[in-house]
Amino acid sequence: MSEEQRPDALARLGEQLDRAQARRGEEPAPGYSDTGQQRALGVGFRIGIELVVAILVATGLGWAIDRVLGTRPFGMIVLFFLGVAAGMLSVYRAITGQSAAVGFRRPERKD
Amino acid sequence: MALELHPLEQFKIEPLIPIHIGGLDVSYTNAALFMTIAVVLITALLVLGTRRGALVPGRWQSVAEMSYEFVGDMVETNAGHGAEPYFPFVFSLFMFVLFSNFLGLIPYSYTVTSQIIVTFALAATVFIGVTIVGIVKHGTHFLRLFVPEGVPIVLLLLLVPIELLSYFIRPFTLAIRLFANMLAGHTMLAIFGGFAASVGLLAILPVALDVAILALEVLVAALQAYVFAILTCLYLRDALHLH
Repeated sequence: MSEEQRPDALARLGEQLDRAQARRGEEPAPGYSDTGQQRALGVGFRIGIELVVAILVATGLGWAIDRVLGTRPFGMIVLFFLGVAAGMLSVYRAITGQSAAVGFRRPERKD
Repeated sequence: MALELHPLEQFKIEPLIPIHIGGLDVSYTNAALFMTIAVVLITALLVLGTRRGALVPGRWQSVAEMSYEFVGDMVETNAGHGAEPYFPFVFSLFMFVLFSNFLGLIPYSYTVTSQIIVTFALAATVFIGVTIVGIVKHGTHFLRLFVPEGVPIVLLLLLVPIELLSYFIRPFTLAIRLFANMLAGHTMLAIFGGFAASVGLLAILPVALDVAILALEVLVAALQAYVFAILTCLYLRDALHLH
């Protein structure tokens, strides 16, 4: 590399850096869609328990609400089904690469 | 063949130094001892490992730098831009869980992460911290997290409770996942160990199985620490970047 080219190359590098940084700033946070065995293993190990815990916690909450409000057995029934829905939603989100995000919106719908 | 199995005895908490303050039992227990060991080991690894700061790292420096970079990468790719201030928190969490898990695999040691109160305390810290970050960053706008976009109002009546529920379930899944994996693995090890002690010459079979399970447990120990940290990152991302 000669002396004349050097400022040019530096400027080019600077531009590239600026572009990369601008891109990084704009982009939505990267999703969970990265490949790699390690990630896949991580996902596999974590979604197993998601559904079960959602149902158990929701049903427990329903039971507690019933005890406090004396609405037995409706709180438990309603919250059991909500728990099933919440659990399925978490599992669905985890395996479709939307992470465990609550209220996830697809990037293309972002304003 | 009398079978005497006490697979759950290993999780018993015993006070080593009894301390009682105002009716509260704050004794220094075996669990607390192993938490202390984990913290001391992590500090020693990082402080001693990076003491020389050589350009070409030696073994210990390599380990310290690798763990740092591993978590750094994890935070950057999973929590997104702007999550750098939370790196120390995620790093501490990851190292603590990892060291507790690995320490638990040493025979006669105590697995701190097999106690649900420990994992739940960690998970609750993450949950409360992340919620506070979200509220501070976005104010009441944070509540939009629970309202899916472009949904008729009638459906919102159903969807908002579901979203709320799946948000508040997070600390429980985080805690129970780690706790259950540790508890199950160590119970299994103890059960096969108990078999081996009671079947005489046939003991070779359960011992072989125990060795295999122990290998699996090494994987689980590392993986659960990884999962715990990565979920913390993902939750942070939700709070930092409302979608």
